[in-house]
Amino acid sequence: MDNASLLRQSYKYGFHKPEKYVFKSKKGLDESTVREISWQKQEPVWMLKFRLDSLKVFQKKPLPQWGGDLTGIKFNEIYYYIKPTDKKVNNWQDLPEEIRDTYDRIGIPEAEKKFLGGVSAQYDSESVYNSIQKTLSKKGVIFLDMDSGLKKYPDLVREYFGKLIPPQDNKFAALNSSVWSGGSFVYVPKGVRVQLPLQAYFRINAANMGQFERTLIIAEEGSFVHYVEGCTAPVYSTDSLHSAVVEIFVKKGARVRYTTIQNWSQNVYNLVTKRMRVEEGATGEWIDGNLGSRLTMKYPSVYLMGKGARGEILSVAYAGQNQHQDAGGKALHFAPDTTSRITSKSVSCRGGRTSYRGLIQVFPSALHAKTKVVCDALLIDDASRSDTYPTMDIRHSDVQIEHEATVSKIGDEQLFYLMSRGLSQADAQALIVNGFIEPIVKELPLEYAVELNKLIQLEMQGSIG
Amino acid sequence: MKLEIKNLTASINGKKILDGISLHLEPGKIYALMGPNGSGKSTLAQILMGHPAFEVGGVGKKKPSVMLNGTQLLGLSPDKRSRLGLFLAFQNPVSLPGVNVSNLLRSAAHEANSSKNQIKSNFNPALNVISFNEILFRQAQNISINPELLRRSLNEDFSGGEKKKLEILQSVILSPKYAVFDEIDTGLDVDALKIVARQLMNLKKQGCGILLITHYLRILQFARPDHVYILVQGKIKEKGGFNLAGVVEKSGYRKWAS
Repeated sequence: MDNASLLRQSYKYGFHKPEKYVFKSKKGLDESTVREISWQKQEPVWMLKFRLDSLKVFQKKPLPQWGGDLTGIKFNEIYYYIKPTDKKVNNWQDLPEEIRDTYDRIGIPEAEKKFLGGVSAQYDSESVYNSIQKTLSKKGVIFLDMDSGLKKYPDLVREYFGKLIPPQDNKFAALNSSVWSGGSFVYVPKGVRVQLPLQAYFRINAANMGQFERTLIIAEEGSFVHYVEGCTAPVYSTDSLHSAVVEIFVKKGARVRYTTIQNWSQNVYNLVTKRMRVEEGATGEWIDGNLGSRLTMKYPSVYLMGKGARGEILSVAYAGQNQHQDAGGKALHFAPDTTSRITSKSVSCRGGRTSYRGLIQVFPSALHAKTKVVCDALLIDDASRSDTYPTMDIRHSDVQIEHEATVSKIGDEQLFYLMSRGLSQADAQALIVNGFIEPIVKELPLEYAVELNKLIQLEMQGSIG
Repeated sequence: MKLEIKNLTASINGKKILDGISLHLEPGKIYALMGPNGSGKSTLAQILMGHPAFEVGGVGKKKPSVMLNGTQLLGLSPDKRSRLGLFLAFQNPVSLPGVNVSNLLRSAAHEANSSKNQIKSNFNPALNVISFNEILFRQAQNISINPELLRRSLNEDFSGGEKKKLEILQSVILSPKYAVFDEIDTGLDVDALKIVARQLMNLKKQGCGILLITHYLRILQFARPDHVYILVQGKIKEKGGFNLAGVVEKSGYRKWAS
């Protein structure tokens, strides 16, 4: 087996418990592939039916004609399912040099590096994870990978799975629904507040960073949970398509915050559907950081269903050479006194392209709704590009709407000022970029913020060459 | 250790602003530079620091030169000049959204300590922030700067006086060999003026050579210059002692206008 295919397997499942056998579906997607996946996972019949129905939807729906250029995706060249294997790449040197180099320069710990690179199967924090699990289960909190969640709590999963984002929603939601694997299942009982952020990071025995991961979070009345996924370091993947679905139910008076930082390698199409249903007096928050990838299309959304529900979306995107970040957010107001706020910050560099794409929809039932959209774009050089596609669909007049959009370039006077203090041009640019995204970065867990700042610094050095 | 400017001519968009400037600055002395609006004072300050917008030339066949302790500054980028010990306090410092003065100065200090284009992975930001900020906050207190300003975006929604004080703070922290203060006194009340002047005298005592650009006698009474230069229409028209500033205060620049 060559290194590439070895990596492809171990990347997804390298930190999975060693399994007795290996299975890899054939390339491409048809009914037999889907049946095979479901059979391998020994799923209930309703899930098989859900997958098969989804496949039909996927096959029927055309590629979206908006957003980014999707024509480069070769659906028939993709392995849609690879069964866990105990084979792993033990050689750090087998990783591409640029990835290793970046890890070194960001200065992340060795163990973490290996984990991120898919080299190591056992992450040192297993004991940490176990003790967290113990505390959680005492409170009745469920935190499992999605496959295990389905096995252990089939009825609970069935009640919510695919209810917020049905396969019919869009072509890639349909694709995910038919071939999903991995992801997280989180259930927080009524009134329980989970103090520590749940990090997908620690859940080492699951394939949580797979191609078609599926995450379902249910926060019962008055509960609170912060879920964190991803990492700032580039994730090396030979898989060219990442298409996840995240469904979150925020019940009355509850609050859920979902933080994502992703930095895919440059060959990846990252097409993700994320949605929260927010009930009366509840709060749903998305913090979404997108770096890397070839094309990202991601618009986390909040459906404000109950009176006084609040939704907040913070999105930060960085597009370098040959990258297109098409990101933003959607807020749909169905109930009175609902409020939403979308803040988007994008940075384009070396010919990179960012687009803000957003939707605000206020239905007649949503009296006294309030919404505020702020989207700011920063261009590092003349070759880069930024566009804004805001859509507002407001069905009545008793609503308060604010929309601000700015596009700025790094000013020569700002650069001169910082350089006069002894900063190199790259560091001056990095400081300006980090200042620009600071309002969002300060909401991130500290280690992510630090890494992100360093990463911007590296990018700026590369941009000057 | 001296700063020597020779045959410096500068223009922007074909318009000549400086016309053959030669100046000689010694360490530990204050040089006041006075002149009417548009005489080229700020241009000189910016060119010394390396602003890329200006076209720099010499006088006739004589080449321009700005030597700092034997190193030619012309052609060097602003950051290199800074690291050689030059500082400029801006007349109108730009605002930097999301960047506070602590971040800025720590980046500057970090850059000075690290070899080129290499981020030290063993750099422990947490430790450094604490010890660095201790110094920063103490110095800020000396200049009567509200500590809250140190945490805010630099110069964003700052008053005129606050901006000037932050420029002074940066000069104190960076401790340059030569510093140019471009109208540091404009917009300051008398208390702030005295504080700023005291910091200038401290820098002077530490051996910093200071070029102080001003319109007013007032600051010079608190930070008494060793020499006064009159700049009119891009040329040094007269050199003198402290008395010369009094003449300007009394009769303006008419006498030097051609």
